[in-house]
Amino acid sequence: MRALGPGSVSSFLKIILDVSYYALWVWVSFLALVTVLVLLLSFNPDLLASMLPGEAAGVLRKYGAGAAVALGGWALMSGGWMAIVERLRKIFATMILGDPFHPDNVRRLRVMGIVLAALEIGRYVLSALTRILVAGDKPSEGSFTLTAWFSVLVVFVLAEVFREGARLRREAELTI
Amino acid sequence: MSIRVNLDRVLLERRMSLTELSDRVGVTLANLSILKTGKARAIRFSTLDALCRELGCQPGDLMTFEHGPGDGGDED
Repeated sequence: MRALGPGSVSSFLKIILDVSYYALWVWVSFLALVTVLVLLLSFNPDLLASMLPGEAAGVLRKYGAGAAVALGGWALMSGGWMAIVERLRKIFATMILGDPFHPDNVRRLRVMGIVLAALEIGRYVLSALTRILVAGDKPSEGSFTLTAWFSVLVVFVLAEVFREGARLRREAELTI
Repeated sequence: MSIRVNLDRVLLERRMSLTELSDRVGVTLANLSILKTGKARAIRFSTLDALCRELGCQPGDLMTFEHGPGDGGDED
């Protein structure tokens, strides 16, 4: 089974990434819409009471602002995942063309590393904010996951590997 | 880089065009052009062998080392 080129594993993974990207696009749009709605409704409890059944209106009235912040945070984080998937799609597109060491892939991998790190930090912040605003509780200590930070480091190391690959590719192109 | 390629001079002396040389040595015209203009980063022994054979010259006739500000460097 071939790893690069048309009809290879890369091609199959690219299709999965394409589907994921558009699914994420729909999900982010939905979350953003719901966030705006919840935020607007939280300012108008009477309208909320008339639109929703009593129990749901009560819950939203109580946690309106907190829920909007949590939803907005999720929308932002989903947007981050979308940015990562978008770059992965482009990287896999170069792999299908049989040119994995394209110079642009170095920048794409670096951006992916930065976004992954930002997502992990965002997760801590969102978790703390949600607990404060929704549960009215003290912020938790946060669940530090070593795997996430290890992944960030791996992506940055991969970016360097691709940078070296791009340099060798340039050298090979200018070797007569 | 301090290595200067004298391919154009050798071609002129042999009254041979770059296209003809390209056909003879089996190196694309684009690659020979890169070599002639001094943009190449490296040259394979097989290419050098073919060039010397077809042009009837020595490697030293094709390239010379010139002292300059970029000595020892690997600048682009």
